[in-house]
Amino acid sequence: MTISRRVFVRSGSLALVSLGLDPLFLARAAFAAGRPAVRASDRPTLVCLFQRGAVDGLNMIVPHGEPAYYQERPRIAVPTGSVVDLDGHFGLHPSLAPLKELWDAKSLAAIHAIGSPDATRSHFDAQDYMETGTPGVKTTGDGWVNRYCQHDREHADTPFRAVAFGPQLPRILAGSAPSLAIDDLQAFGLRVPQEAARDRLTRAFEELYDGAGTGLLASSSREGFEAVQMLKRADPTQYRPAAGADYPPGRLGKTLLQIAQLIKADVGLEIAFADCGGWDTHVNQGSSDGQLAARLRELGLALAAFNRDLGDRMRNVVVLTMSEFGRTIRENGNSGTDHGHATAMLALGGPVNGGRLLGRWPGLALEQRFEGRDVAVTTDFRDLFGEILARHLGATDLGTVFPGYTPSPGRFLGAIRG
Amino acid sequence: MFALAAQMPALTPRDSAFHALNRLAYGARPGEADSVAQFGVMKWIERQLDADHVSDARLAERERAFKILEYDRADLAGRYRDAERERQRLQREAVATGDSTLMRDARPMQEFRELGGQLQQLAIVRAALSERQLREVMVDFWTNHFNVFVGKGADRFLLPSYIEETIRPRALGRFEDLLIATAQSPAMPFYLDNAQSVAPGSAAPPPRGSFFPLRRRFGMNEMPEERRQRRPTGINENYARELLELHTLGVDGGYTQQDIIEVARIFTGWSIEPPERGAGFVFRDWAHDRGTKQVFGLTFQDDGKDEGIRLLKFLANQHATMHHVSAKLCTRFVADEPPDGCIDAAVAAWQKTRGDIRAVLRAIFTSPDFWTPQVVRSKVKTPLEFVVSALRATGIEPDTSPRLAQLVARLGEPLYQQPAPTGYAETEVHWVNSGALLARMNAAMAIAKDCSSVPAIEDHAQLVDLIDRQLLAGTMSAHTKSVILEQLADITDPMQARALAVGLALGGPDFQKQ
Repeated sequence: MTISRRVFVRSGSLALVSLGLDPLFLARAAFAAGRPAVRASDRPTLVCLFQRGAVDGLNMIVPHGEPAYYQERPRIAVPTGSVVDLDGHFGLHPSLAPLKELWDAKSLAAIHAIGSPDATRSHFDAQDYMETGTPGVKTTGDGWVNRYCQHDREHADTPFRAVAFGPQLPRILAGSAPSLAIDDLQAFGLRVPQEAARDRLTRAFEELYDGAGTGLLASSSREGFEAVQMLKRADPTQYRPAAGADYPPGRLGKTLLQIAQLIKADVGLEIAFADCGGWDTHVNQGSSDGQLAARLRELGLALAAFNRDLGDRMRNVVVLTMSEFGRTIRENGNSGTDHGHATAMLALGGPVNGGRLLGRWPGLALEQRFEGRDVAVTTDFRDLFGEILARHLGATDLGTVFPGYTPSPGRFLGAIRG
Repeated sequence: MFALAAQMPALTPRDSAFHALNRLAYGARPGEADSVAQFGVMKWIERQLDADHVSDARLAERERAFKILEYDRADLAGRYRDAERERQRLQREAVATGDSTLMRDARPMQEFRELGGQLQQLAIVRAALSERQLREVMVDFWTNHFNVFVGKGADRFLLPSYIEETIRPRALGRFEDLLIATAQSPAMPFYLDNAQSVAPGSAAPPPRGSFFPLRRRFGMNEMPEERRQRRPTGINENYARELLELHTLGVDGGYTQQDIIEVARIFTGWSIEPPERGAGFVFRDWAHDRGTKQVFGLTFQDDGKDEGIRLLKFLANQHATMHHVSAKLCTRFVADEPPDGCIDAAVAAWQKTRGDIRAVLRAIFTSPDFWTPQVVRSKVKTPLEFVVSALRATGIEPDTSPRLAQLVARLGEPLYQQPAPTGYAETEVHWVNSGALLARMNAAMAIAKDCSSVPAIEDHAQLVDLIDRQLLAGTMSAHTKSVILEQLADITDPMQARALAVGLALGGPDFQKQ
């Protein structure tokens, strides 16, 4: 069951395909047989938002009690007066004000100084490490979410267990366990006006791909058609957000709305993943207003709307933001920030032990920094991811999800209520 | 050639020709596998490598419809500046009057949005129609290797000259020339922020009229105080990092954070003129760091722009660069996980010729790895390759509407719109997933309606055989044939039968491969 997509491509694909064998197909066939049913509406859900481009954790969760923060950022620091204070030392960027009531309700927590033990400042390496869950190891073929799905299989048989929103399947979901990429829920499936004709064409393509040679084409199409069938029954075209939830215009709002839709449709969604970009603020980052502020405003509004829309269903939902690394403590020559090390993440939802800043704050003094310039990492991201998998989703074997790493409850931050 | 012949017994001449057309070209047009086989596949490959001597009159005729090719960069820059000013004026007015419809109705940047669309359409027309297929494939390769995101500020109008004047003329030239050209093409220093990287403590000479900050010229609506504060005051590492990681040495190329800083210092002053002066590349002496820079065992000091040129020449011929770029080429042309043999052959040719791209490609195409039956039809097409090969196979003349570019975008590859400097990926794991496959099936059904390379004949068995020959050079699997025939069983209208059969063939698994 450990045959990964990468291993398949790397070592065996040519020979095996020419023999008509297909390890990925075999692996996935085994999944279909292995899952007993559980009531979908009782299932916990994790929503991961990847802030690609490295969000400036220091301007997202502002250490307004640190003089060094203001010294190093004369042009882009968020003034004390406009920070939404959390605990007297840290505060939310003013654009995230819509989240303050969630903090007060103890369902929002912020994790500071979190990141990778690997020192890379390459977006692509760091994103890869965060998605594979193996910092420093480039040969890992599958993502940690997919490995979780490989090893914890006590769930109903559903193609919607792990879903990425976007045209491409991200690394974090790649691997031998089935996962789905959906660009747009409304348009998912074959576009034929009449239902009978659509069903017929769907069956024809289904049959064509049943005989496809390579694993990825065959298994991806099978998962796709299964999902089409389930969506048809759930009928998402009739969806209206609840409680007047108002998602902001743009990709992120639309994606979170569709995730809420899938959660309420009870199709068995366990892990949803979405990208949200625009964080690589090398130039004119802005402070209370400006480029980063606009991105954070969209994030805050989208998360608040999602929370409102799901209402009581949030009792089983955790939303986690993540980003490959943080940015330099000192602003650069262009009123922006360059690639740094530790960043901040947000965890939101009923199961979150909220209203608290989690993790150990290393300080911003020169000797407290990583390589003299960046926020030091005091929490390995795997400690947080591992805790959420174990305490929220009920993962039993973190060792296989994060190979080469021994997660220990002693290092958990207490992000999930006990 | 003996070794080559010994590796090829499993491939018939037509299979070899189809393979070459799938990899060096955007797929075969009907009958082309046979004609290339007859001409001699190695001879055809040589002709493709010698693109300048291939006549391309039909494409030239079609290119005339693209006004974008007549635009001058300075001209565009001026229009961009005007549009930007108009946008700012409208924005102020909208704020003052509270009328949010002003912006929506006037859409001052519309011209530049359409410019990006035209560029995409042009790329598809060229890929579909050019007789110099390998050059088009390489233009796409380098466009991704040296990726620039068209949506970033001034790159909206800088991209046409980047593609036409920087990438295209050098796609089959020398790597070193291409590398240097990209570094000096205004689109790149703007995209990777080098335009604003200046030596700490340096200051622009008193402006003649207008000068810095660049940003103001490129579209921020600011107050004077902010303007002053936003003047660049130090280095920006962005270009330096991607130059090493993506353009040359590769992420495992053995450089450090300190190396990146030194490289960034070397490139201080590599900038661009403001739009009112044409937005051309400029080396700003005052912004250049005159101090000593040490990197990769070399020392650079007070040698102005030549420092950067010297460094680029050095990087272009490092072993790590040769290996990184050769492996990437082999991933494109041979297999997602290319065997070492073809990479080594490419590196050897690179070394021997100091980076002559034709020689490197020739080494790959004559490597036994390129011709092993296992790699044939083993690669999944990218969205662009899928759409263009479908056009070629079905004999559809790409029109000038945005329809085809939108189709490629819907499949996940909106051309020139990759914000990350990596460009679009080449391998199957990035493109194959259930949602994307469904989108390809929809695209196939849409394209099939216009198919002109297969007549609508009544006999279903003959129809399917013909589709196999015209669209897949006879490589359609028995399974695909039988499924299509089954689906046709109760269809009597020949037009309807053809549309369904062609759609299933294009959307099915066989046509996803190359």
